[in-house]
Amino acid sequence: MLGWTWGLLFAPQDAVQGNSYRIIFLHVPSVIFAELVYFFMAVCALMHLVWRVKLAAYLIKSAAPIGAMITFIGLFSGSIWGIPTWGTWWQWDARITSTLILFIMYLGILTLHGSFSNLEKADRLMSILVIIGVVNIPIIKKSVDWWSTLHQPASISVSGSTSIDPSMLYPLFISVIGLGFTLISLGILSSRSYILSREKNKKWALKHV
Amino acid sequence: MFNLAFKNFNEILDMGGHGIYVWSVYFIGISIIFISFLIAKKRIKEVQKKIILKNASS
Repeated sequence: MLGWTWGLLFAPQDAVQGNSYRIIFLHVPSVIFAELVYFFMAVCALMHLVWRVKLAAYLIKSAAPIGAMITFIGLFSGSIWGIPTWGTWWQWDARITSTLILFIMYLGILTLHGSFSNLEKADRLMSILVIIGVVNIPIIKKSVDWWSTLHQPASISVSGSTSIDPSMLYPLFISVIGLGFTLISLGILSSRSYILSREKNKKWALKHV
Repeated sequence: MFNLAFKNFNEILDMGGHGIYVWSVYFIGISIIFISFLIAKKRIKEVQKKIILKNASS
């Protein structure tokens, strides 16, 4: 909320995009976490497939709806931002299309898991699909460099220089941290209910209600 | 850096003609996140209720 308030009310107007750029404080954190949630799921999928960690599969199933939700917010905010900036809400360019594929992957993972009555088999197949889909993450990241796209190249970089003024960068950074903690809280709530529902026949589950 | 970027409340709402885009994105985005929290909390309560009922009957 601090990052968004700062960005919406106190950050200066952009010289080119005017005030429509203020969508960045929700759009950029959303797409960052859309990819990070998937990366987290891929690590869990590997743990489930290699070491048969049951909890890892539970975490994938809990994280997938959050990933779908935050990817939808990223796509939606980007589309609305595109109306005043590009003159169109949608363009089939590499960055937008690969992010749409990520959203479809999240939905596919949830649908696949939901379509099996044997939950152990569903966990295994879901993990395999997550591993297959991880190839899309570097494509999303590098799409603006590999192809000529309507979407602008990355303005901020973890390792390199940034082209954003500090008066806009600081609220953006706070927005990323804030949304991160919000999603972690949501993830804890979501995984708690899913773990309890899967382990409801165990004695320890009763101690946690 | 900490000066308000707008002169009055109407300017904040209008944002130079971009207010409809900016505010609709934040309203819908924050609503989706808030609803996700409500759903997650509701699910925990439902599961807890199921576990309590199951143990009470057995």
